Amino acid sequence: MMEEEREKAVVVVGLIENATNSTAAEVDPRLLKAIKYVVRNSDSELRLAAQTLMNLMKRDHSQVRYLALLIIDELFMRSKLFRTLLVENLDQLLTLSVGFRRNLPLPAPPAVASVLRLKAIEFLEKWNASYGMYYRQLRLGFDYLKNTLRFQFPNLQANGVRIQQERREREMRTKEILLNKFETLKENFPSIKDELQSTLDEIGECLEIVTATNENVPMDLLDDEEMEEFRSSELRQIRLDSLKEAEKVQETGDNKVVFDVLRELYKLLVMKHLVSVQEWISVLVRVEVADNRFRDSALKEFIDIRNHLRSVKKKCEEAGCSLPDSKNHEEEDIWEEGTIESFENWNSATLDKQSDDSNIASTSTEVKKKASKNSNKKEDSNEKMDCEGSGTESNPQRSKFLAEAPVMKWGSFLDNWDKKRDVLANQRGLELENHWGRVDYDAVIPAAKIAELNVQATVYEEDPVEIQPCRARLSKGGLCQRRDLRVCPFHGPIIPRDDEGKPINQTSLTEEITPDFGSNLVEQLAKQAVKNIRDRDIEEVKKREHDKKALKRAKLAKVREHNDAVLRELAMASTSRSSAVGEDIETTNGERSSARNKKQTLASMLKKKVTAKDRLAQRLLNTGARDATTRQLTLGEDAKYREAFPNQW
Amino acid sequence: MHVSLAQGLQYCGLCSRGSCPLVTIPRPIFTWASPGDNNTKGLKIGGGGWDKDARTMWKEIGDREFGKLRPNLFTNRIRSTRLSSLQLSNYKDIVSPHRGSVNSLQVDLTEGRYLLSGASDASVAIYDVQCATNYEGGGLLAKHKSIINIDKQHDHGHKYAISSAIWYPIDTGLFITGSYDHHINVWDTNTTQVVVNFKMPGKVYRTAMSSLATSHMLIAAGTEDVQVRLCDIASGAFAHTLSGHRDGVMTAEWSTSNEWVLITGGCDGAIRFWDIRRAGCFRVLNQSHSQLGRRPPLLERAAMNKVSSSKSSSTGQSSSVKARAPQRKMAHGNGSKQSAVSKIPSQVKSSARQRLHPGMLSSQDHATAHYGAVIGLKVTEDGMYLLSAGSDSRLRLWDIESGCNTLVNFETVRLQTGKAIQLATTQDSALVFVPCMTSVKVFDVWSGKTVLSFRGHYEHVNCCWYSSQDQELYTGGNDRKILVWSPTKFVSDELDEWIKRGKASALDQDNWSD
Repeated sequence: MMEEEREKAVVVVGLIENATNSTAAEVDPRLLKAIKYVVRNSDSELRLAAQTLMNLMKRDHSQVRYLALLIIDELFMRSKLFRTLLVENLDQLLTLSVGFRRNLPLPAPPAVASVLRLKAIEFLEKWNASYGMYYRQLRLGFDYLKNTLRFQFPNLQANGVRIQQERREREMRTKEILLNKFETLKENFPSIKDELQSTLDEIGECLEIVTATNENVPMDLLDDEEMEEFRSSELRQIRLDSLKEAEKVQETGDNKVVFDVLRELYKLLVMKHLVSVQEWISVLVRVEVADNRFRDSALKEFIDIRNHLRSVKKKCEEAGCSLPDSKNHEEEDIWEEGTIESFENWNSATLDKQSDDSNIASTSTEVKKKASKNSNKKEDSNEKMDCEGSGTESNPQRSKFLAEAPVMKWGSFLDNWDKKRDVLANQRGLELENHWGRVDYDAVIPAAKIAELNVQATVYEEDPVEIQPCRARLSKGGLCQRRDLRVCPFHGPIIPRDDEGKPINQTSLTEEITPDFGSNLVEQLAKQAVKNIRDRDIEEVKKREHDKKALKRAKLAKVREHNDAVLRELAMASTSRSSAVGEDIETTNGERSSARNKKQTLASMLKKKVTAKDRLAQRLLNTGARDATTRQLTLGEDAKYREAFPNQW
Repeated sequence: MHVSLAQGLQYCGLCSRGSCPLVTIPRPIFTWASPGDNNTKGLKIGGGGWDKDARTMWKEIGDREFGKLRPNLFTNRIRSTRLSSLQLSNYKDIVSPHRGSVNSLQVDLTEGRYLLSGASDASVAIYDVQCATNYEGGGLLAKHKSIINIDKQHDHGHKYAISSAIWYPIDTGLFITGSYDHHINVWDTNTTQVVVNFKMPGKVYRTAMSSLATSHMLIAAGTEDVQVRLCDIASGAFAHTLSGHRDGVMTAEWSTSNEWVLITGGCDGAIRFWDIRRAGCFRVLNQSHSQLGRRPPLLERAAMNKVSSSKSSSTGQSSSVKARAPQRKMAHGNGSKQSAVSKIPSQVKSSARQRLHPGMLSSQDHATAHYGAVIGLKVTEDGMYLLSAGSDSRLRLWDIESGCNTLVNFETVRLQTGKAIQLATTQDSALVFVPCMTSVKVFDVWSGKTVLSFRGHYEHVNCCWYSSQDQELYTGGNDRKILVWSPTKFVSDELDEWIKRGKASALDQDNWSD
């Protein structure tokens, strides 16, 4: 019985020691699970685990302490016995994990030590929040660190509660506001409806008047014209259309007043009523009241009203008042007037079939003007163009042109854009067509020459390439932020990596890329063929390597198996122990490849990293170098002295 | 008897230390046993049975029912069992309003209910340790907030750290505070006003009042100054100035058996005994004057008695002790006072003072009890032994009768050296509570073995007070906390409480999710 107990004890101690003997930032989950499993089943194990963990906390290595602390936390949150065992020595645990005593600072490595401290404080807070009520020691420790030593606790729980509270308050406030609105609506519902109704009525009247006047006018026109010409349906259609057109803009001196009023009302309708109705609807939808009857009825009514308003609005628009008009005006205020003009000009110019030289010249000058105005805001103007284009979509031709038109930088060549004529040579550097002097019509620079002079030159600009960060995983956490073009000096060639820093499979990426490569089918096919061949080659090589590796692995596995068997024989009969042994070997095997190039051990963590400064210091501060320097200096001084006093020996 | 005493003393003065048989001759160790000592023995047994479980307790209750156990013995046993299970109380919190280290703690001597604490932020607070002011955590945690708190904002409050705060021993109407601002204030508890105010020549380290005084109201004050002053509350003036120490006086204690005897310990390492009716001190404890065991050996004394008058003073004294001991022991409660009172003065009166002229005294006068300062003194309840703590990290047990160091080796690790510490003993003086750096250790007085160790403070512990009425220990430390250490409740009690409060203790249970 005693023997068995002791064996088991060895198991838990071994497990914990294995788990803490690692450079990882977390405890190996499998080992942790094993520890928990073992400890759960027996109290003596738990006692031993507590003792072992406390001993490990005394180890002079922050990494060991950190991992031990993580295990402690796991057990602390689970076992009552462990808690009672641990709080007995809580001050010691805190001393070793937080390092608040000046004579007992946390051991090296400092990076891990700071993490350890943060974690310990966080854990203490958590423990205190969940079990502080049952353990005075926890409360004491927390209180001491917080109120006496003024440690900054993460305050996770309190923060969460506060945020929730704030959210709840905000919700309450909005609810209250909604309720208030609802109440006012309840009071004012009839008056609101009246107001709406009156506006609607007025609009209706206005519309009636307008339509009435409109009807009168076209009738006269019809009578006057000869009827026969409109017989054919096509023509009639055209005529009707034109009539409609006519109806729309029919605004004479007589009905101008009516139109004005109508416009006003329309504006009122769109800007105020429609918006407010929409608002009321949203209020009604969102509000929560005990009595739903009024809400539902009001909602229904509002929706009806809204639909009605929309129909009226449509009618108004048909009648010829439009709010977009005003909208456009507003927009114009924002935009520069000159540019709009220029576009309008251009518009007309492009539309005009008989485009002559002068016309184009005018547009180009306009463009030039514009360009000079905001030459440094190229993108801005582009945007504007887009907006304009979308604004006047009725003009597909223009947009087509716009799409085709090259975007040019401003230059002197724009002066002679598309011109093929000779230019008078100007000897005096003055304007040509003025009265300041005689014009020599013979001195002409031929068009070809001009064209030659005006060869459009562009400066090569490299496409701004965003250099991707390396994003390889760093040992201390986080990703490498170094930006190198091809190869990171620390992590090798730069390859696409996921958020964790693991490389994404390269082949899939190339596959993604290849279709983009060429639009030319033949080229693509050829490439594909080459690639296939290469792939096959690579695969063969790989396969050969693989075979070799497999052979090697098999041999290794055999050796390992043998070793395992021997070890197992040697090891005690307890299953968890033997499994732990196997695990250990596996993990070491797995790590061997990585260890070859890194060799991260607990001892190596303690080693001070050699920095450039150290290397320089090693070079410069060794005795030989120092002596040489002093020698040089004295030599220099000697020379100076000899120069200054050449006659003294 | 007087004659023999006188002779003994006289002789002692003459004998040189080297030839004193007490020091040099190895003797068989004798523990003193007499029919009258039954009581103490019983206590010891009780104290030894640490792991007594509830069943033996029930048996004892049965015995008590049938009259097999005497009531006194019974209560003592219960007390010691409860004491052995002391631990940091989770359910009793004293909410300390202090912003500085707690320097002094005392529960009042009349009711055992009000805890007085003085702290170095010049604040004094009083707590009711029996009735909680409010409960927290669903009635689980009893919070004892201060019912009176006097700090610097008070008109007549102290300016600097309070080093000592004690209750007036007769009732809770007054309390006395001594501070580093050179003042001793006597406060009326009910109005929280200063009634009497004494200006001292230096920082006050310790104030003490005799718990058995019936004829005086003197506050003994140990200060930075070499002189010990006795402040009379009745007149508001200094009644005495006792000079003898060569450095500041860290601690002062009144004898628990004699209302006229004051014991002081100084930074010079001396412990002096004063009879306040006379000038000068009548005894200086010497650490090299030692005896093995709790009493001077019996055989030798008998022999000495036969040989009679040609022996050293200390043996002479002890022989007188032996003669009187049984009767005093039996009646050591209040009744014993008379005999005890009569004893030491008689000694003094008889001859020593007159005969030992100053020149001869000087060898004794320079004796030290500790290397370094004496930082704590505690007289046992029966007035027979004195415990002293020094900055040499030693704890010494002195036999007051003989003035000898009993050579008990206390397993102290380290004591804090800068400040005075406050020791506490149990009522039967079987155990002593000593603040050792951040922990409080409990030692067996007679063997010096560590019995318990209380770790809970995060900084040095300055003071402790054991309330023998509730078997609770209060400790105060530099971390500004006052901790309560109480006997563990029985599981059934706790369960009852849970049920009473209508809560399941399921919250603090195992929680194995995987």
